[in-house]
Amino acid sequence: MMRGGRFLRACAGLLIFAAALEACARVDDFLAYGAPLGGVYNVDTLYERDALGQRGVPHARFRKWGLNALGFRGPEFDPGRPAIVCFGASETFGLHEREGLEYPRQLERELTARAGGAGIQVLNAAYPGQSVRTAALRVPEIAGAVHPVAALIYGVPANYIWLPYLDANPLPPGPLAQPWFEWRVKERVRNVVKGLVPSWLATRLRAREIEADPMASRAMARLPDANIQRFRDDLASLVAAVKRGGSTPVLVTHVSAFGESPRAVDRDLLTSWRKFYPMLEEDGFLDMERRANEAVRSLGRDSDVPVIDLAAVMPAGREYFADFAHLTDAGAALVGKALADGLEAQLPRLLAGRAGRKEGAR
Amino acid sequence: VTQPTVVYLVGLFAVWFAAKAFRGSAARTALLLAASWLFYASLDWRFLPLVVASSVFNHLFGRLLRAQPKVGWLWVGAAANVALLSVFKYLPGMRGLLPGSPFWDGVASLALPLGISFWTFQALSYLFDQYRGDGTKPTLLEYCLYMSFAPTVVSGPICRAEDLVPQFRGAFRGSWQTVWDGAQSAWVGVGMIALGRLLAAGVGGVGVDEAFAMRGPLSTADAWIMLAGYGFQIFFDFAGYSRLVIGVARAFGFALPENFDRPYLSVTPTEFWQRWHMSLSFWIRDYLFMPMAMARREVWWRTASLVFSMIIFGLWHKASWLFLLWGVYQGLLLACHRLWQQWRRDSTPVLPAAVAAGGSWLLTFAAINLSWTLFRADTLSRALALVRAALVPTPGLHVPAGFATLVLVVAAGYFLSQWAVLRRADPEAPGVLAWLPMPARYACYGVIFYLAVFRAAESQAFIYTQF
Repeated sequence: MMRGGRFLRACAGLLIFAAALEACARVDDFLAYGAPLGGVYNVDTLYERDALGQRGVPHARFRKWGLNALGFRGPEFDPGRPAIVCFGASETFGLHEREGLEYPRQLERELTARAGGAGIQVLNAAYPGQSVRTAALRVPEIAGAVHPVAALIYGVPANYIWLPYLDANPLPPGPLAQPWFEWRVKERVRNVVKGLVPSWLATRLRAREIEADPMASRAMARLPDANIQRFRDDLASLVAAVKRGGSTPVLVTHVSAFGESPRAVDRDLLTSWRKFYPMLEEDGFLDMERRANEAVRSLGRDSDVPVIDLAAVMPAGREYFADFAHLTDAGAALVGKALADGLEAQLPRLLAGRAGRKEGAR
Repeated sequence: VTQPTVVYLVGLFAVWFAAKAFRGSAARTALLLAASWLFYASLDWRFLPLVVASSVFNHLFGRLLRAQPKVGWLWVGAAANVALLSVFKYLPGMRGLLPGSPFWDGVASLALPLGISFWTFQALSYLFDQYRGDGTKPTLLEYCLYMSFAPTVVSGPICRAEDLVPQFRGAFRGSWQTVWDGAQSAWVGVGMIALGRLLAAGVGGVGVDEAFAMRGPLSTADAWIMLAGYGFQIFFDFAGYSRLVIGVARAFGFALPENFDRPYLSVTPTEFWQRWHMSLSFWIRDYLFMPMAMARREVWWRTASLVFSMIIFGLWHKASWLFLLWGVYQGLLLACHRLWQQWRRDSTPVLPAAVAAGGSWLLTFAAINLSWTLFRADTLSRALALVRAALVPTPGLHVPAGFATLVLVVAAGYFLSQWAVLRRADPEAPGVLAWLPMPARYACYGVIFYLAVFRAAESQAFIYTQF
């Protein structure tokens, strides 16, 4: 009896302890981000699906990620100012940078600081996981809403590692499915535990996880040419869609933390990248980056589209990359500057074109 | 909670089990000394030889003073320690006197050895005590452990050899009970540290750090909220750290002196200094103020001794005009309180005792918080602006309402919890949260865990490690 009572007390104590942790997490979210005290609060609240696929929920906010009325990350669109739209995925959306330091914002500041770019706004139309193909579908809608003078296209080749994913049937329109309850403290616990695991052990665990994945047993040493070709074709479709929308497309090569030859200490980053795509061996990612960037350059040459060769100017290293491909504040600043350098020469022509279109519309 | 925290925790348990297994006290002392040196080296290996050299020097000098208790020897030993402290702590600040001199440039680039102010004051107290004929005769091993004892070497409490060294001798005093008691104390310390860091960082991005960095107009409400916020931050940070290390030492069966005793409940400045950073406060009292004050009988001399002692107290933190003025302020505050006490002795009280005590508490709390301007401000002009805003009524509230609310909630929580603790039959009984009913106690454990694990990691180092 005594033992049973003690056990019940311990269980009750544990429950109260867990409830207090959860309550703290919710109050913390409320005070820090104005999150609701009840209900779910996660990154999926930022998105919904329509007939074309996933899109940002207007005015949604989750922690540092806030969307405007168009569902784009960043400040509200100003119809009175010329706009440049950025297409891409999580690298463009911004994951690790502090709010306002993702590269589209830093690019806007760079352009504003330069005499020719005063007044230009940069719209961030990317979201994590967005492929070039889905971006192309969205172009007419965006072109109709913001009439951008240019569209920066920062395609992510990794989305083309597993083509069945790209060709999967779109899910029905509506908000993304959410559980009725979730422990908000769970993610915090996970992050702390992740931080406590030494990097060598984390890499070992990731490697084991990859080995256990059925896809890893048929892993490719090199991405097939068909996948790179598909990436190039989708980029070409996006370029064409942008041109049809009356804007100037500008292609940008993709950058990763490794540069041309990764150092031994960066091998664990490659393993963490591979965890998302177990079907491609680690060295295959470096090869994929080289070939995909070559495809971007050749597309630019063939279709007379300007290319900003970020991969040629961006240094590798952990100062600029928070993981394998996502940028730090400093990395995003470098990207913003490099893009501004690349755009600077085009700006007078782009702005003149916009003025001409406005005159024509009148 | 970081990787080093886990390594230290594992190391702590390993040393505890090893210490328990050692039968001889000399072997156990050697083990604890090796662990302490390893701990110090893990934080800053460059200055470990300095701690060792200082320990050996002071041990030899202590033996000399025991054999020949001459004041000249005492002065030599004390001067050597003060010189060592000055080289690292005060000389770099004098670079401006001789700009461009390569020597001063070299001195200015010297880093401050971790905990030097704390272990140098321990060494000084040892020399003074040996001169006075204290019977503690530590072996070299014991003395080295006294100087670099892992729980105290970084930020105190400043221990006396006569209290600590005897505890190194005899059988191991640690047990599962001491581990449990120590863990409870350490846990509360961790909660206090986390609360201090929460105040520093704020919940919506604006905390004490951000508020003090703000430039612009200040209202009276702004000034008092900032000062109270910093007052509680420094209290939770340092008192929490002290509680943590006292708990760690307790787990090994060592009793360290208390460093804080509900200082913000003090009703006079004198009482405050008997409750705040007690190990340094009592050091200053015993080795500086008392010997000075007893040299002459006049009231002016006693007052001057008080002010001088508090100036040294201020400069112990850092050689800067702000800390010098902070010392002057505290000295004058204590002197005024002494005069007030004398005047009260000769007059009939007009206010009811409860009202007088309440008013006295409020005045003390305000006066102490006002002194934090000099402790926290970056420049004298900024400190004066804060003092002006605090004392000259200026309407408005420029600090974010969230920050103001946080400070008020923390202050209310602190005073309520202290009130509840004092209502206990035995406020000093162990089990700091034991007075709470079981559900509330476990909820408190949850809140402490959350603050310590998920919030404290985001913030900065301990305030007192810079001294």
